[in-house]
Amino acid sequence: MEQRDVGTFPLAPAWRAKLAAAGFQTAQEVLEVGPCQLSKEIGISKEDALEILKVIKQERHSDGAKPSEEPETFRKCTALELLEKEQTQGFIITFCSALDDILGGGVQLTKITEICGVPGVGKTQLCMQLVVDVQIPECFGGLAGEAIFIDTEGSFMVDRVVDIAEACIHHCRLIAEMHPEEDHQIALETFSLENILSHIYYFRCHDYMELLAQIYLLPDFLSGHSKVQLIVIDGIAFPFRHDFEDLSLRTRLLNGLAQQLICIANDHTLAVVLTNQMTTRFEQSRSSLVPALGESWGHAATIRLILHWNNKQRLAVLYKSPSQKESTVPFCITSHGFRDVQLSHSNLIPAENEANPRKRPRIEQVEEQ
Amino acid sequence: MANKKLRRAGLPQELCERLSRHQIVTCQDFLSLSFLELMKLTGQSYWNVQKLLRTVSQSCAPRMQTAYEMKMKRTINPSTAFLPTTLEDLDKILHGGIACGSLTEITGPSGCGKTQFCIMMTLLATLPTNMGGLDGAVIYIDTESAFTAERLIEIAQHRFPHYFATEEKLIAMPSNVHVYRELTCEGVLKRIQSLEEEIISENVKLIIVDSVASVVRKEFDTKRQGNLKERSNLLTKEASILKYLAEEFSIPSDSQSQKFLQTPEPLD
Repeated sequence: MEQRDVGTFPLAPAWRAKLAAAGFQTAQEVLEVGPCQLSKEIGISKEDALEILKVIKQERHSDGAKPSEEPETFRKCTALELLEKEQTQGFIITFCSALDDILGGGVQLTKITEICGVPGVGKTQLCMQLVVDVQIPECFGGLAGEAIFIDTEGSFMVDRVVDIAEACIHHCRLIAEMHPEEDHQIALETFSLENILSHIYYFRCHDYMELLAQIYLLPDFLSGHSKVQLIVIDGIAFPFRHDFEDLSLRTRLLNGLAQQLICIANDHTLAVVLTNQMTTRFEQSRSSLVPALGESWGHAATIRLILHWNNKQRLAVLYKSPSQKESTVPFCITSHGFRDVQLSHSNLIPAENEANPRKRPRIEQVEEQ
Repeated sequence: MANKKLRRAGLPQELCERLSRHQIVTCQDFLSLSFLELMKLTGQSYWNVQKLLRTVSQSCAPRMQTAYEMKMKRTINPSTAFLPTTLEDLDKILHGGIACGSLTEITGPSGCGKTQFCIMMTLLATLPTNMGGLDGAVIYIDTESAFTAERLIEIAQHRFPHYFATEEKLIAMPSNVHVYRELTCEGVLKRIQSLEEEIISENVKLIIVDSVASVVRKEFDTKRQGNLKERSNLLTKEASILKYLAEEFSIPSDSQSQKFLQTPEPLD
């Protein structure tokens, strides 16, 4: 195809003449130059040069040549298209409305959300809540999806998931009783404990090699389970925090992992949730708690949520997000799962200030808007 | 699993030899390489390397199970899912007792009863299943020389006077408790690493480490540079082995074991 004569393409006779005069003979020769160079060599405008290139490329496609440019057009879209896509995309709710609010509706699809926190603050609880919530039927405002749970710490307790799932079913039943509609009844029939549990795909990875292997295989698994809308990795830090002599290898593996997860999240329109541990960092004479795995890992997740304690209160801090402002909300963990705190709002403001003394006050800005 | 040889991962013999010349012998070595390095070392195309990666991954990735299957396994055989502590309220919040197949940590100030609790759990695990026990042996790794067999017998006689009425039962029970005195960090780690065979041969159902913290605190001066990192490295390693053992042996058809750590204070 490359050797096809320029004269045989459907181009304006004037351009054809100019191409021939400048010494262009085959399609290959024309395609080797960019539009700017072409416009200079044959003395036409840049727009016209681009037009020539487009025609030749198009003709080659219809001739059956290899469509080499195709993947690129797949990845590209305008912000307008993205906006439409984002608006139709649902969120995975957390059952804590305050947390949903600061996240902009819940855990976002196509994004990586990282949950950091000290042991026992509720990272795994939130993960177990999410693998149930992603399955809420569409007529109740859910996604009717399925979930993958990759466990590196062995802290997934199926009995606890049963508690959370039963509470979730009960909640949907109450909604159905208040608004008796036909599709609610139909949805509830299939939204059973047995179904919820069988749509949680559990993998237990004992070391980082098993984790790497599993991530390589995820695209295959996902093509067989197209309804999966959430991947949980609980936690990303544990396998990488021991037996590592070579820290640069660790950084490289982690970055590779993050890159793969972003690809998977985009290709399959699903949410990825990671949990991370906290570590102590010493600065001169004082120490502070920061998420583990180092500074560069901080770039890996799109959304970073830090859970911590303040006195007896659990707090969630939205620490990093491209679309939402940083803020702190209280939450609690009941026998039913991850829930809002039933408290009057005035009690909470001092706690927030105390927790984040260095944070910029943003209240005024909000009022201006 | 980490040291699984590439030969056993289903790669062609020729390729394994080629890679071993570059010191790439195990699956872990292979998976740690980047795409570009793999293409260079194997001399294969992008698509072929992707295929190779998939083959290696498949050979060492974990098996999938749904939460429903996990739940069913537990309901079919409820006695192997938890070891009841016989403290009613505690059992209730723990869903039935200390979970089999996972790691439980007991912490508290000195003298509040951590070792007593461990000794009691030792006794309970040796009881037959119809009495709420696990009917198996116990490995007790004692780093503080705090375990006393006398106390074990005392608790047994007071808690279950009818069962331990005969001399025979009173001798059988403590002979099922294997106590290791390990007074150094290295000793504890080595012991934990070599438990696998004993768990199978002795039908061990519960492992107690009393306590992880004492040796560690003695040997690591946290003021010295780098010590803190090494310490957390050691502890995470121990935890990861214990977790692996716990899960590996909590398969209902297999012997059942539990891990049980005791630390005097939370470690940072």
